[in-house]
Amino acid sequence: MSYAHPEVLVETDWVAQNPPNEKRRLVEVDYDPENGYRKGHIKGASLIWWKRDVNDPVTRDIVNKEQFEKLMTKNGITPDSEVILYGDFNNWFAAFVFWVFKYYGHKNIKIMNGGRKKWELEKREYTTEEPQIAPTQYTAQNPDEKIRAYLDSVKGSLGKPNIVMVDVRSPKEFTGEITAPPEYPTEHAQRGGHIPGAKNIPWATAVNDENGTFKTVEDLKKIYSEKGVSSDKNVICYCRIGERSSHTWFVLKYLLGYQNVVNYDGSWTEWGNMIKNPIEK
Amino acid sequence: MKNKLSQDLPVIKKGSFYFIKDSDTHLIMEDKTKRGLTVRERSLDEKTNVEADKGMIHDLDGIGHWVPIRWFFPKKDYTLEKVLAHAEEMEKKYKELRELTCPDDDE
Repeated sequence: MSYAHPEVLVETDWVAQNPPNEKRRLVEVDYDPENGYRKGHIKGASLIWWKRDVNDPVTRDIVNKEQFEKLMTKNGITPDSEVILYGDFNNWFAAFVFWVFKYYGHKNIKIMNGGRKKWELEKREYTTEEPQIAPTQYTAQNPDEKIRAYLDSVKGSLGKPNIVMVDVRSPKEFTGEITAPPEYPTEHAQRGGHIPGAKNIPWATAVNDENGTFKTVEDLKKIYSEKGVSSDKNVICYCRIGERSSHTWFVLKYLLGYQNVVNYDGSWTEWGNMIKNPIEK
Repeated sequence: MKNKLSQDLPVIKKGSFYFIKDSDTHLIMEDKTKRGLTVRERSLDEKTNVEADKGMIHDLDGIGHWVPIRWFFPKKDYTLEKVLAHAEEMEKKYKELRELTCPDDDE
């Protein structure tokens, strides 16, 4: 059985054989570009830095439509471009940027299965040379709010049987033993725990540990259906800052074909800090 | 002995922010603020000039920085007093930081 939308994934072999050109753009998405892109990237790839390029510098929000258009222009992307994303941290931030591309209506967008991890395991080449990219014109679509959840809608969904929340953080974050792993001391919340009623299905259960690629449809269906996350439900995915949850959002929406899946990018750093928000441990 | 798990070793001195542990060959100073951080490499710490277990923490921009978690001071070169001087320097730095940031507990 194949994925519901196999067209959104490409393999490392394919990327190696199909270099970027005017119509096909390759973009590395990093959380930590100093230890990623700048140390070496796939030839022809440009960089999207999650923190600086995809987030508004003042308001806690993703970039607005105009900022997104400027980002596309800078990366030589047109509305018709085929865009291949890959990145560090098991493609967490590539998946987040995939979600942002979809939010602004870009159609032809793909993820390289396994990201940097698999590329490196296969000992494929990197370069430190940055490509010369001619700026383009880009007009984005209006935001597709059907794929995004906000605090109020998450609050409003508490206790509703047709809505299931998937907390994709680690079990220790879910139970409140920790609020963030020690590697991320700037991403804590006031309280530990999870949104009441949420199911804990860590993002990593969707990938093969040895190379970061996605598991088979059969395996994925089993993982999510066993926890009551079925295609007839409205699914809200969240994590700590919305990046790991966009990875699970991608799995549910594009690999399993669930119709109603949203990413709550405010995630635990919003929910766990808000006055009057209930939590469970 | 450096490879023996440090949690199994006796603590011979401790402060609010450090432990000093005793192995057969080394005095091991641990930074308590780095508890739980994954050790990603063991290499020379240029500040102390001894080997250290190091992990990576990410700043507000997401950039990773190597930080020492525990330092291995060879007993043949270092007395407890010498290691304690390093530990107290670290303690002072964290206490000053705590005063600046006013945390809500003592840990």
